[in-house]
Amino acid sequence: MTWVAFLIPALFLALFLFALFKKVKLYDCFTEGIKEALPLAASLFPYLAAILMLSALFEQSGLSQRITAFLTPAFRVLGIPAEISPLVLIKPFSGSGSTALLSEIFSSYGADSYIGRCASVAYGSSETVFYISAVYFAGLKKKHLLRPTAIALFANFLGVVLGCLFCRFL
Amino acid sequence: MNGIFALIFILSCALFLFTDPNGFLSAMLSGGEKAVALTLSLLAVYCVWLGFFKVLEKSGLAASLSRATMPATRRLFRSSDQEALTLAGGNLVANFLGLPGAPTPLGIRAVRKFSDAGNDFAAEMLFVLNATSLQLLPTTVIALRLSAGSSSPADIFLPTLLATLFTTLLGAGLVFLLRRRK
Repeated sequence: MTWVAFLIPALFLALFLFALFKKVKLYDCFTEGIKEALPLAASLFPYLAAILMLSALFEQSGLSQRITAFLTPAFRVLGIPAEISPLVLIKPFSGSGSTALLSEIFSSYGADSYIGRCASVAYGSSETVFYISAVYFAGLKKKHLLRPTAIALFANFLGVVLGCLFCRFL
Repeated sequence: MNGIFALIFILSCALFLFTDPNGFLSAMLSGGEKAVALTLSLLAVYCVWLGFFKVLEKSGLAASLSRATMPATRRLFRSSDQEALTLAGGNLVANFLGLPGAPTPLGIRAVRKFSDAGNDFAAEMLFVLNATSLQLLPTTVIALRLSAGSSSPADIFLPTLLATLFTTLLGAGLVFLLRRRK
């Protein structure tokens, strides 16, 4: 395990001791915070359901494979190995889907191969953009989603191109 | 987003119709089931962190942390809304530390506050920073590499960090350059 494992209990311990010192009523205060959890999760639910249904359709209909086949030659020109192009395409839609693809790549080509390393960097340097945009812009009255979502997708894609390049040297 | 949703939905639907009509409903349902399961697990995560944040707030620590990050966040988000900047600053710190699940409730509330105040620039900036990955240590990848028998699981740290820095700077730069002029 990493340092994060120690960090989380240490943070809670430090905060709760400090709060006691400041005479905060811990139980009352902690439950008051939790009150907001249910409305928050409920406000996200319709957006999560729509996005995850869309991701399932995208993956299971074969559309993602077709788009991958279509884009792979272009990806290769940019230095992205053909083997990781499904990962690059699924990552913006689905965290669990891309994690499964990453493990598959590791077991087929080895985690220390060039392909395995490229896949690691592609996975680690990008985010599930559509999912985050659904969550962060859930319930806003005014929605200008297209521009920020396009910016994030574009930046993440160039990051993958650059990451594959770095993997050749680093 | 409506356009992207319609396009992908219609194309997938048409493909199902011609290749595997039985698969359509089961794909929709599997997405719905994932959403139900994910919402429940998010609810659990939010209970942990929203409880934590309320204690942080009541103990007065949130105010001191926000004073420390204020000079940077005020410039980055071009806002003077203290409460929204505190939330956004907390979101960025939780991202850097890689605390799983902690950035989201802070980020959502910050985006809502920015947007309600008419500051779309700040809302977009915070979203793009979150959507281009700010995590310093790619813990999930390292754990997966370890379990796949990698001889040096942390080997990808430097290229990932450089790629992440690049995407974050590029994303923030584009938000800044393409912002709607008032």
